[in-house]
Formats: sequence, C-alpha cells, structure tokens
Amino acid sequence: MILKGQKRKLPSEDVEVPDQSSPLWESQRQFVFSVSLNKYQRSQELPEPSLRRSVLIANTLRQISLEACRSPPLDQQASEPSCSSTLSPQNNAANRSCCSGEPSVPMTEDEDWGLMATDSDFSLSAAISSILTALDSTVDGSPQAAPRTPLRSLENLSGPSEGGVAMEAGRTSYMDDVTMEDLFQDIDSSQLEKDMGVLGLRSGAGGCSAGNDVIRYLPPLTPPSSHPFSFSAEPLQHCSCTAAAVPQVLVFLTRCYPGTFEPRG
Amino acid sequence: LAAWCFSQVKGAIDEDVAEADIISTVEFNYSGELLATGDKGGRVVIFQHEQESKNRPHLRGEYNVYSTFQSHEPEFDYLKSLEIEEKINKIRWLPQQNAAHFLLSTNDKTIKLWKISERDKRAEGYNLKDEDGRLRDPFRITSLRVPVLMPMDLMVEASPRRIFANAHTYHINSISVNSDHETYLSADDLRINLWHLEITDRSFNIVDIKPANMEELTEVITAAECHPHQCNVFVYSSSKGTIRLCDMRAAALCDRHSKFFEEPEDPSSRSFFSEIISSISDVKFSHSGRYMMTRDYLSVKVWDLNMENRPVETYQVHEYLRSKLCSLYENDCIFDKFECCWNGSDSAIMTGSYNNFFRMFDRNTRRDITLEASRESSKPRATLKPRKVSTGGKRKKDEISVDSLDFNKKILHTAWHPKENVIAVAATNNLYIFQDKIN
Repeated sequence: MILKGQKRKLPSEDVEVPDQSSPLWESQRQFVFSVSLNKYQRSQELPEPSLRRSVLIANTLRQISLEACRSPPLDQQASEPSCSSTLSPQNNAANRSCCSGEPSVPMTEDEDWGLMATDSDFSLSAAISSILTALDSTVDGSPQAAPRTPLRSLENLSGPSEGGVAMEAGRTSYMDDVTMEDLFQDIDSSQLEKDMGVLGLRSGAGGCSAGNDVIRYLPPLTPPSSHPFSFSAEPLQHCSCTAAAVPQVLVFLTRCYPGTFEPRG
Repeated sequence: LAAWCFSQVKGAIDEDVAEADIISTVEFNYSGELLATGDKGGRVVIFQHEQESKNRPHLRGEYNVYSTFQSHEPEFDYLKSLEIEEKINKIRWLPQQNAAHFLLSTNDKTIKLWKISERDKRAEGYNLKDEDGRLRDPFRITSLRVPVLMPMDLMVEASPRRIFANAHTYHINSISVNSDHETYLSADDLRINLWHLEITDRSFNIVDIKPANMEELTEVITAAECHPHQCNVFVYSSSKGTIRLCDMRAAALCDRHSKFFEEPEDPSSRSFFSEIISSISDVKFSHSGRYMMTRDYLSVKVWDLNMENRPVETYQVHEYLRSKLCSLYENDCIFDKFECCWNGSDSAIMTGSYNNFFRMFDRNTRRDITLEASRESSKPRATLKPRKVSTGGKRKKDEISVDSLDFNKKILHTAWHPKENVIAVAATNNLYIFQDKIN
C-alpha cells in the first residue's frame, strides 16, 4: 500500500496491450501472474481474507493460466490434456473457452506462441495448472473429506452456529490451509531430483504450500534458454527434497504457518 | 449542473488520521433533515439540519451534531478465533412514523435497529420520590399530586431496540429497507436474508449462491437493494458485473432470477483485469423505480429495468485509469468499492474517485463535472472550481496529471439530499457538505 502522502510512481511500461502477440503482452502476463500469486499467498496468511478479493484474484490467476495454456501448435496436443485434467471443473467462460477450443478472445497469438515454443512453455503450463489446482482447493475450504492432523493448531474449527432458519450448520471457515499430511505425501525425492524441485513438489491438491516461499522465488518466464527449466537454480536448491533436506521443508512450514508445531492453545 | 459551493466540513484537520475516524458510510434520512455517518470505530454520528435563520435567509441552514453513539463494538468469534470488526458498513434509515427516528446500522455480522428520540420535558412532582430521586417514606405522604411535565434542555437519546445477529457466515455488504416498512434484507458475499423488523431470532434466506463445493466458487454478491415501490422485488449485483432482479412472489428461494442484466464485453478492451474492473461495487434504484444505477471500477451505468442486455446510459468516471490498471492492481486500489447516488429528481448522479475528486453527471444535458473535497477550497460559500485531469502529453495550467493523483485520498461514500441540492461527501475522516448556489 502506498505510504501516506507519497505519490506513486507508475512504471513506464505500464500500458494495457490488448495485442496478445507482442512480447510486451507476454511480459505483462507474467508480471500479473506473479503479482497475483503473491497477493493470493499473502491473503491466505490473513486470519480472514476478503472473499470477494480472493475470488477475483483466483479468477485472474485462472484466466492467466488458461491463456498460457493455449500452447503453441507444437505442444498443442500435449498440453491440452494436462490443462483439462488438472484444473478442477469450472463453470466460467474462460475455462470453457480454453479447453473446448472456443476462445473468448481472438486466438491470433497462436502463431506467435510458436516462436516461443520450447519445452519450458510446456512445463510452465503444467506447473501453473498444478499450482492452480492447489489454489482451488485452498480458496474456500478443502473438500469435506480432507484429513486433518492434530498438528494444525491454526485450523479453523467447523461447527454449527446458533441461530435461526438461515444458519449454516457445519463448515464455517472458508479459507482453510492445506494439511501437513498432504504435504508430506507429495514429497517425492526421486521426482524432485529429476525436476529440480518446485514443480515436482506436488501433483495433487494440498501440497503446494511447501513451495509457498519457493513460489515467491519463481521469476517471470525468461526468454527461451538452453535449459528446459530456465529458472534461477539457487532458491530451488533449498527445496530439493532429499531425505536429508526434509528439515529444510519444515523450516519453510514453520515460516508459513507459525503455529503449526506448537502445542495447541 | 448547478454551481456548487462549500457549506461545511466536519472532522479533524490533523494530517494524522486515526483509523477509527475513517468514515465508512453516509446516509440522509427520507426528509433530508438528518444526515448519518458511520465510521470504522463503530460509531454513528447524526447531524441535523438547523432551520434557516431569519437573519440570513439567503443561506440554507447548517447541519449540526444531533446525536453520537457507539453502535457496534469489536467482537471476538471464539469458534473461528477471529476478530469481528466494529466498522459500520451501512446505515439505512426507516421512514419516520412517529416523533422518534429509527435507523439500521450494520457491521460485518450484526445488524442493529436504533431508536433516536428526543427528550425535552421531564416529570416533576412525583409522589414516591423527591426531586433529587430519593425515595420518600410512604408514611409521610399525606396527599397525592399529579406529576407535571416541565421543560428541560433537549436531550437526544439513542437506544438499540433490536439486534439481528448470527445470520451471516460471510461479511455483510448491504442492507435495504423494504417499501412495506416491515421487512428488510441483508446481503453478504454469498447469501441474502429477509428479516422482519420485529423478529430478531430468525430470518428467511432468499438467495444462496454458495456452491456445494467451495472450490467452484467464482462469483460473489457485492450489493443488494429492495425496489423502492414494489415490495416483492429486489436486485443484487455480483463480482462478475451482473445484476439479477428477483421477485419474491415467484418462489421462497430466489436463486432463479426474474431478470438478468449484463452488458456484453467489448472484446477490444479486454485485459487481464477485465473481470475485476467489471465487479459491481454498488447498485441503487432510482427514486422513480424505473431505473437502477451500478458502479464498477471505471464507470457508472444506468439501466432501464425493462432492458436486460445493456445499460441505457454509461458514464466514464476516470477512464484515464484504464492504462494504469496494472499498477492499481499491484497496490490494491483496483479493489476499492465506490458507491454512487441519485439526486432527488433522478436527473443527476454522483460518485467518487481518487485525489478527493468526485464526479457528477447530468442525465439530461449529458454534462459532467469533477469537483474536489479539500480544505483549500473550504471557504464559506466559496464556489467549487471544476477540476480536470490531463490525459494527453500537454498539461494545461490548472490540470493535474494522472501520475500526480493521490490514490490514498479516495471518495468512496457520497450522499445526495432527497429533496434539495445538498450533498455530503466523505473524504477519509472528514465529511464535506456542499450546496448549490442560491441567489
């Protein structure tokens, strides 16, 4: 938030570029994606985030990832299945337009996406999809069946509220975090060693939180480089989860969820 | 549009604004005699319009403090380990039916009905107690007398008459009194409830958009209002820029709308922020009941209730911000919720912007004006100078450039007197009252 009295300096490149074929659009997309992710993570740390704000940010993230999902023709077949399978079913038009091939925006960018087509695009879209699935599950409460471990002292209790006809019995919290169990289940050291960390940390709902801090390190996608995963390697080393590195993950967790490892109450 | 001049400003002048003093809602009552404000500290301040003095008939009377009371206190929800803010989200007056005034005030979770009454007489000459209140010995009473009402200094008392609690899981964003004067609705992010003013222990849920699986949630309710004349009709707006009109006669649960208002998106202006800026922050019926007005981030739209596919009028509030949406998203300003209001005759509408600017649009002449609520232009009866934001490269002398706008100074809440050209504008912790120039 701007400090009181301080006039905000707007970045010079801050122009809306509807033309999706330009690199400016791509860099803005990445910027908005990382800002959105950041905002979303931060709001999750609040005790009671604004539902409207969270929904709008989550929708923006989804829209960005879906537009990223419209991969170059080279990877078209490969990436679309991953797009539709990892995203939870949604009713919004953006989702329908992406995965059913009926875009709500002109798809002129396809040809130009081809110019940037590399393996890194494919893995990025898979990563975004998997991250979004995690976000979906944390947006407003995990499914009722999600297991809860006793270590989660910050966990919101669900319970019937008193009152009249309009009461909602049962779940009252809508911003639950992922569970420890999910997290540890997803840590697969062999896969991680292959994938250099973040992206392989989780595949299903819930475990994304291990990468909370790591995801913040995710820089915007740089132009194609020789390595298929062109991310800065340094922060990821913290995250390579060999058995010896599990304590590192716990460090992240204590930072993300300060009350997790303390006795209840 | 009339020429507007400064009338009064209420609130501290300090640069250092206490968070609790930030005004969060402003509302005139039905006659315009009373003006209520609510703040983040849970207080309600009511101003009353003084009669014009005979000495200075060319001035309209001023608004002076009539009553101040603490409406809501911070609470703690023990089940969820969450603090419930005492900030007053909305105040709505009830139509006056007797000497007392009634209003509804709400925070995120609890709605309260307050009675504001005057006491200007007191009884003297009780039989069982002395003038200073001490009980008299009944054996010493030899004769009976009838107590007499004597005048006293005016005292205005506010007392909570009803507390409507425990009906909202999510944060209440709107309350609206029905035209039957017996019921009212309250809306949170996912549900709308209908209450009877006399009954506090239950309410009817009339809209519920909570999905069975919260993972599928993509849209929330942002505002709701009862139709001013048809007590069976209400509307609610959403974060996706849609408005649904519902008829309570059709079904007990109004999940299915009677009318659905949405403007098709202009594909040429599509951006990453299209959905966020389409989110409606306020919806208000016109006094006539024929139109409704919605406010989204960049514009105000007037809708004819008989035409669902597009608004009949669109007014750009601050189009120069469209190229700055990325930064405004980054600093969270894009989530600011601006309100809007009609004038008494529905010929003009008003809404706020940044830099303490507010905008008025004349629906007949299509003229618009930008004014500023600032201490600098706060000389008594000084005419407000129209302001302009320069959008091109060249900035004219009195214009201000977009980059110089202060995004901390936002005018979210404004109100227009129901009968006269008097407006109340809330600028952070200050309440400005402006009126049109009278000869």
